[in-house]
Amino acid sequence: MIATPSKETPMPPTESVADLKRKANQLRRRVLEMCYAHGGHISTCYSYVEILVALYYGGVLRHDPSRPDWDGRDRFLLSKGHGETLLFAALADMGYFPAQWCDTAYRGGECRLGGHVDHKIPGIETTSGALGHGLGLGCGMAWAAGRAGRDHAHYVLLGDAECSEGSVWEAALFAAHHGLGNLVAIIDRNRIGSLDFTENYIALEPFADKWRAFGWEVREVADGHDFDQLIHALAAERPTDRPMAVIAHTVKGKGVAAFENDPTWHVRAVTADLIDQARAELMEENR
Amino acid sequence: MNAATDFSAVDMRDAFFLRLYDIARQDPTVVVLSNDFGAPSLDRFRADLPGQFVNAAISEQNMISMAAGMAMAGRKPVVYSIASFLTLRALEQVKVDICVMGAKVMLVGVGCGYAYSVDGPTHHATEDIAIMRALSGMTVWSPSESRVAGAMADLVSDLPGPAYLRFDRGRWPGLGAFDLTRGLRVLGEGEQVAIIATGIMTHRALAVAETLRHSGVACRVIDLLRLSPPDRGELLAALAGAGRVVTIEEQAAPGGLGGLVAEFMADEGLLRPLLRLAIDPALVFAYGERDRLHGERGLDVDGAVARIEAWMRR
Repeated sequence: MIATPSKETPMPPTESVADLKRKANQLRRRVLEMCYAHGGHISTCYSYVEILVALYYGGVLRHDPSRPDWDGRDRFLLSKGHGETLLFAALADMGYFPAQWCDTAYRGGECRLGGHVDHKIPGIETTSGALGHGLGLGCGMAWAAGRAGRDHAHYVLLGDAECSEGSVWEAALFAAHHGLGNLVAIIDRNRIGSLDFTENYIALEPFADKWRAFGWEVREVADGHDFDQLIHALAAERPTDRPMAVIAHTVKGKGVAAFENDPTWHVRAVTADLIDQARAELMEENR
Repeated sequence: MNAATDFSAVDMRDAFFLRLYDIARQDPTVVVLSNDFGAPSLDRFRADLPGQFVNAAISEQNMISMAAGMAMAGRKPVVYSIASFLTLRALEQVKVDICVMGAKVMLVGVGCGYAYSVDGPTHHATEDIAIMRALSGMTVWSPSESRVAGAMADLVSDLPGPAYLRFDRGRWPGLGAFDLTRGLRVLGEGEQVAIIATGIMTHRALAVAETLRHSGVACRVIDLLRLSPPDRGELLAALAGAGRVVTIEEQAAPGGLGGLVAEFMADEGLLRPLLRLAIDPALVFAYGERDRLHGERGLDVDGAVARIEAWMRR
């Protein structure tokens, strides 16, 4: 069974790939400054910039920043909740909440924006920070929405290292058995956990085969930083009778050479000796 | 309510599900999730309301996360499991997905304390009071008889937040009138000792009180139906005039009912002698018939009476 996802208004304008690239760069620069000032997991954020921009700015997600609680919205769940800096920057950019929160209330002060995503923040569906919860939450929402005849979709972004959690596979079994065609898992396959490369400590490969074996439609995105590939995988028609996993092959820390593909950057702080070089690289890319 | 059903004549969980069936027929948003765990009364629910029953399989973490997601999507989930698996296996999901997000999910755990007797520590829920009352926002209900368990099904229609219902196994006869809105009831009028119990240990407390009365010790029994948060005014009123306080529970001592009462009395400046009868932490993990386990731990009638009398002589 194939069906075109409903596109009930309002939808964000679909921007050109050049616009999306500029947006991605702008968000990387914003995240850099937020992490430099307040902390955060910068390499975790940088690996999913294009995924997030494709979803929110590329016309994949049905959403309305002026109505965060609009019932017809597609749900986006950031299961890897330690990638909060980027989501906060993007939601602020779209107008979900005042941009100054990212400067004055992030990881300190009144702490409207804490060190992980929280459901009380406008535009954020679920609290995360403990890994392995998002897909189950998404399953419950998707099951209920399907039973109620609702046509919105549920997109859950997981880290690849998070897929070591057994609860992810509990949810994967459920979603497939119940044919949750309104559920999409996007896996940020940057191949790095907190200490090491995933294949060095708990190999996930053959990763796509595992999802297929669990009964999921699987789409691999060879370059998870390429908008054409991402949007094609996320927005093209998909089966309505089973869930879909989009495995986006990404580079952790993508965008600044010093951060890229280096496990130590999972927890490292952006320090003064690196900030100028990072700014320069991102400005160069923006030209 | 089904007038033909005498809830005092059925298991606690059956009283609950029989009533829930009636509610769910009227309210299609009520959904029961089970980790492949059944009950005689659930068979009719599953057969007649298949769209409102989810066998979530033996995957408690996902079951709890899904229930939270369903609540966010406008459903009224009731999650049913053996109590030990519900409170321990998926505790982080209960905290984060249900309590942190204030999801209106009803958790129903069966098999409090040593109810699963010879099945042993994996199936015993000997810490569930301490665990669940530690969770911010969680309301903990603990029926002492089947009729009360049946009445608790009505709570699903208007939950203020997360709830945990701890059920015993078996049929437990009525102990008189009850009002869930008060959160407790007082049985008897004795001034010397107030014995506080919850769940089926209320029946034990009544037997202990009766024995003590024969020895000339006037006791009242307080049956805590809602453990957490306790109703401050009701509990103060229930304890008024009691010279001594005893708690009796089928839980590991740390953090259980005795701990709850000790905290309450300390916070209220209610400085009375307090004796906590619970399971010695060193003796918690065991296999055996329930009565034998109680006897070995001084929680049977004779043991409890002896400990209370010795304490009163000190």
